[in-house]
Amino acid sequence: MTLSRRKPARKANLGTAVCTGTGGVFVEVVETLTKDVLDVSGLVKRYGDLTAVDGVSFRIRAGETFGLLGPNGAGKTTIISMVAGLIPANEGTVRVAGRGMTPAETEAKRIIGLVPQELAIYPDLTARENLRFFGRLQGLTGKGLTQRTNEVLELIGLADRAGDLTKKYSGGMKRRLNIGIGLLHRPTLLILDEPTVGVDPQSRNAILESVEKLSVEGMAVLYTTHYMEEAERLCDRIAIIDEGRIQAEGTRDQLITLTGGVDRINLRGGGSMVRAAEALRGLPAVQHVDNDGAGLMLTVGDGPTALAGIVTGAGQAGMSVTSVEIVRPDLESVFLHLTGKALRD
Amino acid sequence: MSAMLAIATVELRRFLRDKSNIFFVFIFPLLLILLLGSQFGAGSGQARVAIAGPGSALAQALTAKLQSSGVVVTASGENAARADLSRGRTDVGLFLDESDGAAFDAGQPAELDVVMASQSSAQAVLQQVRTAVQAVGLERSQLAALTGAGIPEDRARPALVQAAAQVAVPTVDIVDTNDVAQEFRGLGKFDLGASQQLLLFVFLSSLTGAATLIQARRFGVVGRVMSAPVSSGQVVAGQALGRFAIAFVQGGFIMAGTALLFGVDWGNLWLSALVLVLFCAVAAAAAMMVGSVIDNDTAAAGVGVGGGLVLGGLGGCMVPPEFFPEALAAISYATPHRWAYDAFAAIQRQDGTLGDILPQLGVLAGMAAALLLLGAWLLRWSLSRAL
Repeated sequence: MTLSRRKPARKANLGTAVCTGTGGVFVEVVETLTKDVLDVSGLVKRYGDLTAVDGVSFRIRAGETFGLLGPNGAGKTTIISMVAGLIPANEGTVRVAGRGMTPAETEAKRIIGLVPQELAIYPDLTARENLRFFGRLQGLTGKGLTQRTNEVLELIGLADRAGDLTKKYSGGMKRRLNIGIGLLHRPTLLILDEPTVGVDPQSRNAILESVEKLSVEGMAVLYTTHYMEEAERLCDRIAIIDEGRIQAEGTRDQLITLTGGVDRINLRGGGSMVRAAEALRGLPAVQHVDNDGAGLMLTVGDGPTALAGIVTGAGQAGMSVTSVEIVRPDLESVFLHLTGKALRD
Repeated sequence: MSAMLAIATVELRRFLRDKSNIFFVFIFPLLLILLLGSQFGAGSGQARVAIAGPGSALAQALTAKLQSSGVVVTASGENAARADLSRGRTDVGLFLDESDGAAFDAGQPAELDVVMASQSSAQAVLQQVRTAVQAVGLERSQLAALTGAGIPEDRARPALVQAAAQVAVPTVDIVDTNDVAQEFRGLGKFDLGASQQLLLFVFLSSLTGAATLIQARRFGVVGRVMSAPVSSGQVVAGQALGRFAIAFVQGGFIMAGTALLFGVDWGNLWLSALVLVLFCAVAAAAAMMVGSVIDNDTAAAGVGVGGGLVLGGLGGCMVPPEFFPEALAAISYATPHRWAYDAFAAIQRQDGTLGDILPQLGVLAGMAAALLLLGAWLLRWSLSRAL
């Protein structure tokens, strides 16, 4: 059974800016929750004959976590590289908080924080030195830089190891530093490219919790992953991407409906399974029954509701049920449904 | 500006943090300068004589006479003297026994055992020993003649000294007509080696240090840097400044270290520093090229060592170019080392002025400008490759 941990309720983040001028006082109310922080439109990237990204469009609002879910080689990192202004797009536009993003654009880059997939840190510098270096590149100086460095070290739990060379860190600690560098200048849009690759479960959970917290605080997050569980846990909206194209986009529940929204119930046991299969096919809740000899696999509309009747019916037909499993549709099912292949192929 | 300085600072910090660099960049060059200066530096051809045997008036007289003519004399046992001779630590061994001392004291002839080492310089030293022995023998004969004529020894000795002082001794001025020898006139023991090794190691270290540029690409740091609000021009300038800082810190250290430790005379310090600055700019640009073209940091280190040694050798950092055959001397001017070497030579040996070294400075500046442009272009290309 797939369990989905839902995001905590997000606080309303309605920012209000008050400006005074000689002509009087006027008030501008900004609905930050409905404002697009990132607007990607018709993005195309070609490498010779290969089209790595093919007409990708999506938007992210402030406080929203948007996931790009797809297998390795789907084009996620290429999209991120264009969004972060590292490489130019052949077609399409990227606008970050209303500013066009290109490799030559420096103002739009101030708004984003990039956490690349690889550990983009200097192993022969300490965590503090790494943070200070990248902080200076972001324009932080003096006491502000020192203060923010200390804050981030606390945030990522490396304050007590701040003076150690990062080559002595564990993989999880390096990953946390990698993320901390992206947060240093308080970006409006945080881009995380597969930030949990190669991380132990404990560190992975810590990273996911950090991302949840940032989102609650109003930061827009673009999160790429090929881990379905991460996308389900973190993302308000998810784009399923394969072969450079967005196959579907929406909330988790919206995407699930694409599969028809059916559950699967697996019954294991002994006795007369042929008779049980015949009997269960007659139940109104059951759409389909397969018998593989070791058990029965049923397709039903709503698994938990139909379960009691199914177990009773199977028993009455002479099957001794030893285990029951309800498999609810998940993003893996959606990906399979849309592309005809498993997410981790 | 801040971003450029941040990049340059971090490059320098990473270079200095590598413990192997500390040895090869700072300690090893000084050791080499010390070794080369001791072995081949000006004054290293000083005559050395070992006198073996019991202490005697003869030994004292010979020691005094030899020392007065600039020979380094060591008193040792017979075995030690033979060992020094066989290992080339001394040029001539003079073996005295008790009978020699007694004969000298008695004013009688004595036959001394002399052994010459195999090195070529020993022949000249042997001649100095002969001269000293003859002089000591003559003085002893004169003293014996006076005491034989009934003059007490305590009066005879001062009289001989007084007579010697009244004799005008002919002087010999040695003029070396060899052009090569003239080139090195005025150099201290470590001066030549210091400038040669400075050029060799600054260039070598810069090239091998290019590996950090490759690592930055490999670590993905370049991508992260380019996602910050900095232009590619700032990144390139920061990298160039970082390479330059690495070279200049090492060059400055060698200059200061050799001046303080070995008394190396760098001539006009401002002019020497100017030569160093331009040479470091060339080295930095070359390092940018190596770091941009090669993607494997181990391979880059190999290319750096190989290229640095070949260019250094061609440029006169191993054998002084004054000894080069004509064709090789012409080729050596294709290297920045040779131009910097000539500039240092003019400053150190001939008290050269800015005007004297303008041609060398001009060529170095031209090389630096051309290589920096090429290096910057290649670095930009490598940055885009890294993304």
